[in-house]
Amino acid sequence: MARPYGLLRAGFPYLKTLGMRRLTNFPVGIALGPEGTGRMFILCRQEGAALVRKYSFDDEDGGTFGEVGDEEGKLQWPVSIIADSEENVYISDEALDRISSFDSDGEFLACFGEPGSGEGQFNRPAGMAFDADENIYIVDSMNHRVQKFAKDGQFILGWGSFGDGDAQFDMPWGITVDELGDVYVADWRNDRIQKFSADGEFVMKFGTSGSADGEFNRPTDVAVDLDGDIYVCDRGNNRVQLFNQEARYVEKFLGAATLSKIGREYMMTNASPNRIRDMAVLEPQKFLRQPRSIAVDAAGHLFITDTGSYRVQVYQKEAIHLEPHQFAPPMRSVTLHQE
Amino acid sequence: MSTSAVEARTDLALLAHLYRRAGFGATREQLDRLAARDYEDTVEFLLNPTPEAGVPDDEIARYMGGEAPHAYTATWLFRMINSECQLQEKMALFWHHVFATGLAKNEHALAASSQIEMFRRNGLSDMRTILLDLSHDPAMIFWLDNNENHNGEPNENYGRELLELFSLGVGNYTEIDIKNAARAFTGWTFTQPTPLYPHGYYPTEFRFDPEDHDNGEKTFLGKTGNLDGGDIIDIIVEQPSCARFISRHLYNFFVADEPQVPTWNDLPPQDPELVDAMSKAFLDSGGEIRAVLRVMFNSDSFKDARFKKVKSPTELVVGVLKMVGNHDNFRPGLAKYAESTTVVMGQKLLDPPTVEGWHTGKEWIDGGNLTERVNFAVGEIGDGSSPGIQRIVDRLLEGDSLSSPESFVDSILNAIGPIEVEEPTRAALVKFATDSEGDDDRSRVVRMLRLTVATPEYQFA
Repeated sequence: MARPYGLLRAGFPYLKTLGMRRLTNFPVGIALGPEGTGRMFILCRQEGAALVRKYSFDDEDGGTFGEVGDEEGKLQWPVSIIADSEENVYISDEALDRISSFDSDGEFLACFGEPGSGEGQFNRPAGMAFDADENIYIVDSMNHRVQKFAKDGQFILGWGSFGDGDAQFDMPWGITVDELGDVYVADWRNDRIQKFSADGEFVMKFGTSGSADGEFNRPTDVAVDLDGDIYVCDRGNNRVQLFNQEARYVEKFLGAATLSKIGREYMMTNASPNRIRDMAVLEPQKFLRQPRSIAVDAAGHLFITDTGSYRVQVYQKEAIHLEPHQFAPPMRSVTLHQE
Repeated sequence: MSTSAVEARTDLALLAHLYRRAGFGATREQLDRLAARDYEDTVEFLLNPTPEAGVPDDEIARYMGGEAPHAYTATWLFRMINSECQLQEKMALFWHHVFATGLAKNEHALAASSQIEMFRRNGLSDMRTILLDLSHDPAMIFWLDNNENHNGEPNENYGRELLELFSLGVGNYTEIDIKNAARAFTGWTFTQPTPLYPHGYYPTEFRFDPEDHDNGEKTFLGKTGNLDGGDIIDIIVEQPSCARFISRHLYNFFVADEPQVPTWNDLPPQDPELVDAMSKAFLDSGGEIRAVLRVMFNSDSFKDARFKKVKSPTELVVGVLKMVGNHDNFRPGLAKYAESTTVVMGQKLLDPPTVEGWHTGKEWIDGGNLTERVNFAVGEIGDGSSPGIQRIVDRLLEGDSLSSPESFVDSILNAIGPIEVEEPTRAALVKFATDSEGDDDRSRVVRMLRLTVATPEYQFA
């Protein structure tokens, strides 16, 4: 499907909150199941705990899998989770320097990678993304590079080195591949996003350090929707920023959470927390706290793992595709002319 | 430059002593680097931490974290092991000892960890700032019931401990002073945080409720007026007894073990001259902690006070972990040391047993936890594959350290300290060195290391 000629951005309202403490503690990654199923896998990690929570768009718990350990099939410090077309999930582990795969029931399938800096080796693998052929791009964070693999772990290509020049990285984290095959990397300590062709040719970069619109404080993840809009998880600024496909800043998401369905059910049977909650100022509860990752789907949903608040906040994009006759040609300058 | 400073420039043993006390120890490689500086310059470096010398906060946020107390203490241990700002971390631990606040009552791990962050931030500043921040700290307010200290219904718990345990010591105030101090802190409370469910801990902060504050006239330590908490702290910090009490605490923590705090009104300091000099620095500087520490660390008494202190569990564990080198970069596994290792030795960070804090010195050690301490050190050191142990082994094998049993022992003691041992200990080590001649060198060095950290002397800083 081709990208629209133009967009009428009607709105991007908050839609719902998923999860709560004890179910989705410290969600650091999210992988969406097949379009329309509402299934998802939420990766949770904190000191001494690492698991995958199977979850639904209707806020229903589907159980967990994952166990802490060094052995094959176990996790230590998982960073990113992605799901393939068969709903097998792949999880990067920056403590074990490997990628592990599981089926949707949590049965361990395989793993690849080992510590090192050679081809196919990792030093703290982080973000991952599939391309249309289900090859995997993996951010190899402390080697300051991106590597591309076949699903079975066969090394295909790689690029990047340490630095702040074009196609250089400083501890990169998140990554995504758009529907055209271009690759976007959250260049964490350089506070920017870099875009590459599928083969690693540098295309563009945007962002700088700071907290103003369009600036970043350690971006952790990036996602691109079918309109070409670019979403950046600006973790240090506790927000997600939206840019158009030319990297022009559009708007930001600070959080607008309400109690999830499952959270409401919990609170209905707990008198003391209800009283304490009633004594507190609630406004801070709306906002994102150290969001770690983002995902978008074809239906226009934006999923943000609100890591510090043990939940996922979901927004709904409302944008109408415009044809050339509905969208004037680009203007060279801003204008006060009104029509 | 004094003669002692010139000598100190190359005195690794003195540097090692300084880093055991002002920090959590130093590896031999770190000491070699530090030896290029004058001793006084190293003291100034420790007294003036910079963000650049600490562990980067963004990396802490990236790799560490979690809700449970042990997640925070794991992060704190990482800083203790890896921060160049060793004294900053040590002062956070010092104030945690003095202003002991326990999770057993508070249950709010975020508030507890925020208190430690406060000590990291202000621990080297001045006593007025420290006591004012402490009086604003939600964890402390709840711990000592100042949230229950209301106008017309004062709760004296915080007022009493502020004077008795936190600033002046028994015998330097009256019951009337306590009552009026409590009245001065009425209305000092905190904002209600939202509950843990369903979205985790939320921060809380100090809140002053003017409607709940006693604006009546109060007399405190001879001064009368409509005193509030800030006025009380101003008066406290001016007291010579405050200067002496805090100086003695610092001496006990950094120089040599003193008897437990409740006896201080009856037993004079073992080194009254140094405590007097520290007290004078406190009063002359308006309560600047840096000024007091500067006098202390540069004193001959401090320099001579080697191996006069029993290591706290935290000091022992962090010192060993630093030497072993498994956690000189981010990796899983630190939590267990805070969650169980130091706990079985008698120190659970963030959760001291009472408002008196931990009893220190020889009270750290009994038959049971001595076994834990020795077993821990031997177990960690015994893993010859650890990077720090490999560095020590390589260092010893590079030269002629193993040319004789005596040389072997001297080299081991030098490599892990330098540390000093009594003659019977040295004789036992020499015997092992003699008996093991002909064994595989690497294995022999590791076994000698295990034997060395099992000595009584290794329990002392």
